[in-house]
Amino acid sequence: MSAGGPGGEAVSAETANQVDIKGIGVGLVGIYIAGISGIPYLAFLAGIGAIFATKMGADAVRRVCSYGIGTGVPSIGMLALGMGIISAMFGLALGKMYNAVFIGPIVGLVLALVIGFVVGTLANKIIKLNIPVMERCLMEIAGAGVLALTGLSVMIAGSMDFVVISEKVITTGYIAPVFILGALGILHPFNASLGPDETQDRTLVHAYSCGAIAMVIGGLCSIAVIDSIAGMISIVVGLVIWYVTFMGFVKLVKRDAGAGYVGTGLLPPGAM
Amino acid sequence: MDPAMGMGLVALMGAAATVAGCSEDLESDIGSQSNPNSQVQLAAQVGYPHRIFNKAISGEPPSNAMYCAVGAGVAMVLMSESVMSASPLIAIAIGAFVAALLNGVFATTSYMGRSASQTRFNQYVYMDVLRNQILSLMGHAYITTFCIVLLSYVMWNQHLINHPFPFPVIALIWGLCVGAIGSSTGDVHYGAEREFQDFKFGAGLNAADSGNITRYAEAGIRSSLDNAWFCSKFGGPATGIAFGMVVFLDNWRSTAFAEVLNGWGAVLVGLAIVILLVIYNRQIETYARKKYGPYPEYAGDIEA
Repeated sequence: MSAGGPGGEAVSAETANQVDIKGIGVGLVGIYIAGISGIPYLAFLAGIGAIFATKMGADAVRRVCSYGIGTGVPSIGMLALGMGIISAMFGLALGKMYNAVFIGPIVGLVLALVIGFVVGTLANKIIKLNIPVMERCLMEIAGAGVLALTGLSVMIAGSMDFVVISEKVITTGYIAPVFILGALGILHPFNASLGPDETQDRTLVHAYSCGAIAMVIGGLCSIAVIDSIAGMISIVVGLVIWYVTFMGFVKLVKRDAGAGYVGTGLLPPGAM
Repeated sequence: MDPAMGMGLVALMGAAATVAGCSEDLESDIGSQSNPNSQVQLAAQVGYPHRIFNKAISGEPPSNAMYCAVGAGVAMVLMSESVMSASPLIAIAIGAFVAALLNGVFATTSYMGRSASQTRFNQYVYMDVLRNQILSLMGHAYITTFCIVLLSYVMWNQHLINHPFPFPVIALIWGLCVGAIGSSTGDVHYGAEREFQDFKFGAGLNAADSGNITRYAEAGIRSSLDNAWFCSKFGGPATGIAFGMVVFLDNWRSTAFAEVLNGWGAVLVGLAIVILLVIYNRQIETYARKKYGPYPEYAGDIEA
């Protein structure tokens, strides 16, 4: 048995297709409303899109890592954002080059899916990991990476314009917390629930709360970039989502731990 | 810049890095992150449910990179003229505080999540373990983040070292660095030395012994704070010296030899330092093997 679980296909209540449709759908809609409307007070919608994308990535990590990739969980999260940042910046820059800003996120997403497929095929066919869901999961992880990164960058800058994003988010260095929080949002939910009794709903509610943390910090950065009201909206919305999902996570921990959720006590009988 | 001022800054950065390395290692030891984590994670599965904090925030380099990048990002927001032009020291302190809060949140979810995922092995979620340990974790994370963000600020500030990278990116890189050094230097002291000090040199490790790391301390059942006490005697300071040396030597060579041979002087000195350290490490290794090994059952080279 692996440290990660029984090995084999993960048990899911919410299917991969449902998670993907929500992740890509809400992700893109959020980014587009925030980026095209030009109203800074709607910038937080891109953050909400990033939260759903994070959840999609976390679910893909969960499925691929249930095949016994124990210590590889963090690496997969970093890989996601590595693929994500290249694709996101390429998409946005291409949109700027052809004077069609709105194609940026879609081009980035498509490129990420292609890179994910290539990396997945390499891992399965050349390195011979032979994990049946590898290609699909790496495509989802790369897609989640690009949407989370684009979403948070658009939320901080309040615009989808590559020049604005590169000046306000990349040159200032706010890309650093966005990058690392996006990666942790994708890898931490499953990594923190690693074990044979991991459940999908608990992992995914945790993914929402990690995404919300990234949104709060992104909102904080956007105070300096857009204005204080737009930043405060993102922070408050993020904090509310974080509180609700964090309490939901604690509730699910209580459910899954059952009688093992104790205030204090000795080790269980027979443990010594 | 005045050479004396430059050397002073390099010394300040080295000192901050030493403190950061030490507190980073102790933080990861309290939470059993990284090296010992797989043993703590396996303990319940090999029949040893435990009361040790199981903090798995992805592995030390990314988690410390997160604290430092967030700390620097928040500090930069506070320092920017469009917000409040806060003084750097206050801004860095507040940034480190926010990072410590994130540390608390991520540590809580990983302790609760990992313990609840091992219910079938009789692993309980103890609230008092969480409450006792979480503040020491956050406190150590605060010290680490403060020191790293401070040294990144010194590197980034245009009146001081004036590094071309943005402030949060420098902090991210040093955060990755301190995590990697803590993970490879200090955690060995907890993950290997603490448990296996009574094993013969070179005896190897049986996987079934993994769970022992959660069993007995000097008095009674082992707790995470015992591990911090043990590691503060050697593992933490060793990590501090290692990270402090990395920061100090790297900045020393690039500050003192920047003008020599059009900048190539710094590169050559760096190369010389690396070669010297490689030779020194090899010396220590062969010395230890000769002095403490081979273990008694060893009878010459065994053919595979």
